[in-house]
Amino acid sequence: MLSYEKVFDSLGLREWCNESKANTLTSLSELRGDKIEWWQVPFPSLDNLHKACSSIPQTRDLTASLEAGFLAVRPSLRFILDPLTQPLSWALDYTLLFFTTMPWWALVPLILFGTQYVTKSFRITFLVALCFIFFLFTDHYTYAIQTLSIIFVCTILCTLIGIPIGILMSKKDSAQRIITPVLDMLQTLPTFVYLIPLIFLFKITEAKLYGLAIMFYSIVPVIRLTNLGIRLVDKNLIEAADAYGMSPRQKLINVEIPLALPNIMAGVNQTIMMSLAMVVIASLVSAPGLGTLVLDGINNLRLGVGFVAGFGIVVLAVILDRISKTALARIDESREI
Amino acid sequence: MKPKSSKVKIAVRDLFKVFGEDPVSILPLLYDGIDKAELQKNSDHILALNNINIDIFDGLITVIMGLSGSGKSTLVRHINRLIEPTSGKILMDGNDIMNYDESELRQLRQNRMSMVFQKFALMPHQTVLENTLMAPIVRGENIESATENGLRWLKRVDLEGSEQAYPHQLSGGMQQRVGLARALTSNAEIMLMDEAFSALDPLIRTSMQDLFLQLQQDLHKTIIFITHDLDEALKLADHLVILKDGFVVQQGEPQHILLKPSDPYIEEFVSDINRARVLKIRSVMEEGSGRKVSHGSVNADISLEALIAIAEGDTNRSYDVEDGGKSIGTISMQEVFQALVRYDIHLK
Repeated sequence: MLSYEKVFDSLGLREWCNESKANTLTSLSELRGDKIEWWQVPFPSLDNLHKACSSIPQTRDLTASLEAGFLAVRPSLRFILDPLTQPLSWALDYTLLFFTTMPWWALVPLILFGTQYVTKSFRITFLVALCFIFFLFTDHYTYAIQTLSIIFVCTILCTLIGIPIGILMSKKDSAQRIITPVLDMLQTLPTFVYLIPLIFLFKITEAKLYGLAIMFYSIVPVIRLTNLGIRLVDKNLIEAADAYGMSPRQKLINVEIPLALPNIMAGVNQTIMMSLAMVVIASLVSAPGLGTLVLDGINNLRLGVGFVAGFGIVVLAVILDRISKTALARIDESREI
Repeated sequence: MKPKSSKVKIAVRDLFKVFGEDPVSILPLLYDGIDKAELQKNSDHILALNNINIDIFDGLITVIMGLSGSGKSTLVRHINRLIEPTSGKILMDGNDIMNYDESELRQLRQNRMSMVFQKFALMPHQTVLENTLMAPIVRGENIESATENGLRWLKRVDLEGSEQAYPHQLSGGMQQRVGLARALTSNAEIMLMDEAFSALDPLIRTSMQDLFLQLQQDLHKTIIFITHDLDEALKLADHLVILKDGFVVQQGEPQHILLKPSDPYIEEFVSDINRARVLKIRSVMEEGSGRKVSHGSVNADISLEALIAIAEGDTNRSYDVEDGGKSIGTISMQEVFQALVRYDIHLK
């Protein structure tokens, strides 16, 4: 493979090239000294240039230096992020502990009461009751409760963090310009890719590792829809609020948030569904719950275990979606704008 | 109906408004008197208001009338600075509100001005009563006394019993009465009404106008009323300003504008009007008591139509005109009929 050597020779860089010793593997065709036809000339990639001139780095050096760079900043990143994210670990650990130690005969009725309270629909409460009987009967109850606890914590935190970010975006176009690409990235990044830097940063046994992965993934819709909802508030109403001298704060609390509420709630619904999707993948990094059973099914080829757990996740998805959508519909109904 | 010598509450002086990329750069052209179409062709800027100078009198209804695109809604939003002018002054009791900072401006809007909107702009998530209490709540007043006040105004606009309803449950006319009650509950001395009755159907509009005039008789607020409807303008106005393409074509007493239109544009406007109903005897009578009259006396503020009815259509009669028991002039039926067709009629 001598195609690019002549280039370096003609540029008078041979000496510089030979400073570092070439340690490239030689291919069979090179040993044979096969002549390269013009149509076989390879693209001058890092690896090909390296063969001609060993001072030029290889592609694997690039990935290796990225890794080295990340490892170099890791201690300082940890120093900042660890205390910042520690409350997330506590929230997840204690919520999991609380709900899994609570006896089933107390928790299930509590969930049913809660459902009835937010949906005001006996049909949905009945559906939820059936689903929990299924979980209890098939001994998947604890796993389901673990999954629900994680979703519960992550959704609350996403809402608390996401709504203010969404409000900021709706108020400042510059914030929207900066945040929108970040949200786009969070949404398009393959879910496994989230896990890579997090595994480096935190110990795999820490709850915040999967907590952060879930939140990064599922916070996007609540931010987007809060922003959208506030931007869509009728301009005539904003004008009326201004004409009566409302301060920006009064306007936000009395006009914008109440009117954007249906959109914000739609965002919360999406956030719940996305946390459920991510909590399964997060079982790769020790998130407890139904996902671990699915993982077990994949790893050990236990078809039945994987199927039942997968069905359990679908059941959870259906009831979470029904509950949040019905609650949303109730808000819309009381308005009928 | 109109005290002649009223003091100026708000004076708009040399007001220009240009929409576009760089409005300030356009100003020199405007001072040279460039017109709207020319400006739009040459520089992509839209001239909304062109050298506006108007007086708004204390305790009177000033109607700003113009067709759509004439800049009337833009103009009224300058008075509470919902829209910032490109240049010019807005003097309120002599103070230029253009110098107000954000909190002074908010104080002004909270305490001294209220506004009624064409599309009602009621908060859909609040009840009628909560909507009505908007101004006192924004000001942070005691809710109980504010509620009492709000209920009083709701009763006044015939909405008793609908306090707990939501706006979407009410008809358009009722919604606008909520809008009116909201403005009145603010107790502001100045009311801005942006095409307040334009979205209502004709019968309801008429009854709203009557209600509005009734309220004004007791309240004597300073009102700026925007409309595109000349009939409405003539019915409500104490002082009429006619806008066209962003400049003031004519302003003055409505009867005067009707009898002496200064511009072909206004002439055209006025030609569709039922003059008999709008013109008052006061505007066409002859002053003094020099003439002999054939019949009794009539009130100066009745319309020509009413006088024709009194005279039973007889063209030979003449009447004494009195105002508050005093004779102020005479009118003959011939003058009445002339006034119905001529613009150059003798004015009081």
